[in-house]
Amino acid sequence: MARSTQTVSAMTTPVIEARGLKKSYRTTPALEEVNFSVGAGRIVGLIGPNGAGKTTALKSILGLTRFDGELRVLGFDPRSQRDELMRDVSFIADVAVLPRWMRVSQALELVAGVHGRFDLTRAQEFLRRTDIRMRSRVRELSKGMVTQLHLALILAIDARLLVLDEPTLGLDLLYRRQFYDTLLNDYFNHERTILITTHQVEEVENLFTDVIFINHGRVVLDSSVEAISERFVQVTVAPDRVAEARALQPFYEREVFGRTVMMFDGRPGGELAPLGELRTPSIADLFVAKMESPNP
Amino acid sequence: MSTPAAVSTRPPQSGLAATWVNHPQVRMFRTLVRREFWEHRSLWLAPLAVTALLLASALLTHGVAKIDAGDASEWLDPQVKTNLFALAQWGLTIPHYLVMILLQTFYLLDCLYAERKDRSILFWKSLPISDSITVLSKLFVGGVVLPLGIFVLALVTDVLFTIIWDLRAFIGQAPDLVLWDTVAFLKTQSVMFLGLIISMLWYAPFLGAFLLASVVVRRNVLMWVTVVPLLAVIIERIAFGTRWLSNFLRYRTYGVWGDLHVESAILNSLRPVGGGGGVIVSIPEVFDRVHLAPAFVDIDLWLGLLFTAGCVFAAARVRRYRDDA
Repeated sequence: MARSTQTVSAMTTPVIEARGLKKSYRTTPALEEVNFSVGAGRIVGLIGPNGAGKTTALKSILGLTRFDGELRVLGFDPRSQRDELMRDVSFIADVAVLPRWMRVSQALELVAGVHGRFDLTRAQEFLRRTDIRMRSRVRELSKGMVTQLHLALILAIDARLLVLDEPTLGLDLLYRRQFYDTLLNDYFNHERTILITTHQVEEVENLFTDVIFINHGRVVLDSSVEAISERFVQVTVAPDRVAEARALQPFYEREVFGRTVMMFDGRPGGELAPLGELRTPSIADLFVAKMESPNP
Repeated sequence: MSTPAAVSTRPPQSGLAATWVNHPQVRMFRTLVRREFWEHRSLWLAPLAVTALLLASALLTHGVAKIDAGDASEWLDPQVKTNLFALAQWGLTIPHYLVMILLQTFYLLDCLYAERKDRSILFWKSLPISDSITVLSKLFVGGVVLPLGIFVLALVTDVLFTIIWDLRAFIGQAPDLVLWDTVAFLKTQSVMFLGLIISMLWYAPFLGAFLLASVVVRRNVLMWVTVVPLLAVIIERIAFGTRWLSNFLRYRTYGVWGDLHVESAILNSLRPVGGGGGVIVSIPEVFDRVHLAPAFVDIDLWLGLLFTAGCVFAAARVRRYRDDA
C-alpha cells in the first residue's frame, strides 16, 4: 500500500527538488540558496569548475552531509530518511572506491546479499563480456576494469536514481566511451534518472537531456538541452558589426583567430543573423561562457 | 574470455527456519558478517595457525617429554592423570584466548577506520546498509562470532591434542600422563564456556570503546586508546593526587572474577596432608565449586553492557556524517 502510494506520487513529483539549499564548511560557503529540480527519466549533467559546490550538492542529495534548506529526493528527506532512500538510489562516487581486498565473486555475493533489487544474473552476464575474472581481487584489476566491475554492480540494481560523480576520471578514452555507451544502452529508460558530474563535458554532452551549471555555490543555469538551442545563440561577428552586436548586450565575448565570438541569451535569430555567422553553442562553449561571464 | 560464475547457488530451503534465514535483514546481517571475515582474514587464519602449532607440538614433543616425565608416567595415580587431563584441557586453550584478545583489539580498532583509509566507505554508503547495522555487525563479529568460534576451535584442538597424545602413549612414543575422563572433560569445557560468556559480557565495554575510537579518531587509533588513558591516569595522580581512574580501569579489567570465588573454591577442594598443608585431589571438583551465577547478576556487568550500547549508538551516529574519506 505504502509502496504503491509512493510510486504514484513519484510519477507526479520531481525526482530531486532543492529549495534554498545551503551548506558551509566552517566559514567557507559551498552552496548558497541553491534551487533546482530534476524530473523523472532525465539525464542531468551537474557541471561546474573545481570547488563550485558540485560534490557538496551530490553529497547532500545522497544524505552524506548535513545541509540547510529544503531537499527532497524521491520524496524522501536525505537527512532523516537516508536508509529508505538508498533502496532506490545507486551511486558511483569515484572509480577507486571499491574495496581493494575484495574478490569479484565476493563483490557480487555481497551486493546480492544486501540489496533487494540486485539482479545477480544480469551482473554476471555483463562481466562475462569483459576480461574480469571472478577470482581476481579488486587490487589486481586495472582502473578501467574496476570501473567495469563497479558498473556491472550498478547496472544490475534496479534503482530509480543513479548518481555518478566523475565516474570516468582517470580512464582512457576507450573505457570512457564504453562506460557511457553501456549506461545509455543497457541501463537508461524513462523511469530512471541519472545525475552526472564531470569535467569532460565535451564527451558526454550528447548524453544529457538537461544541464545544471553551478559556480561559487550558486546555480547559474538550469535548463533542458532543447531549451538551450532555443534560448542561446553564438555569433561569430563580422569585424565591421562588432559595435552593433555589443549594443544587443551579449553576456559573453571572446576573440578567436582575430574574430569576435559573442554569446546571446534570449535574442531572436532574425535579429542576430545580419551580424555574422550564427550557431547553437555546444554545452562546453556555453559552460565556459557562463563561468567566465561577469553577468551570467 | 568468459569466466564461470563463482557465486554459489544454495539449495532451496523450506519451513519456518528458511523464512527466518531468508528474511532480508537477516540475510543482510549474515552477508555483512561474512564480509568481515573476507576483509580481515587474520580473524580465521591466526586461530587456525594456533591450532596447527598446538597439534604439531602434540606430535613433535617426543624427546622433551620423555626425559621430563617418561618414568613418572609409570607410577602416576589415575586421579593425578585425570587432574592433568583437566588442567591440560584448560591450559591448551590459553594460546587461543590470547590470540583472541589480540584479534579483538586490533580488529575493532581497525574496522571502521580502514573503510575511511581506503576510501571504500563511499562504496559501502552507496548500498542500502544502515550505519547501525554496519556497526552492529562489526561488534557482533568481534564480540560474539570470534569468541564462540575460538571456543569451538579450542575445544576441537583439545580433543585432537588428547587423541594424538593418547595414541602416541599407546604405541610407547609419549609418556602416559593423562587419562581421558568424560565427566572431567564436560565439566572443564562447561566452566570454560560459562567463563567465556562472562568475559564476553564483562569486557564488552572495551570492545564498544574500541569500535567508537575506530570511527572517531582520524589516525593512530591504537595510540589513542593506549596513550590517552595512560596520560589521563598520570595527570589525575599528579593534579588531584587520586587514583580513581586507574582503580576504575583495574576494576573493569579484573572485577568480575571476584564474583566467581575461585580462591575459596580452591581452598574448599584441599585435602589436608601431613605437615599442615593441603593438596587438591580433584581439579574437576574445583570447577564444581566455582560460583558462576553471581557474575551474571553483577549490576556492573549490566551497566557495562549499557555503556557498550551507548558506544554502538554513538559510533553509528558519527559514521552517519563522517565524510573525511
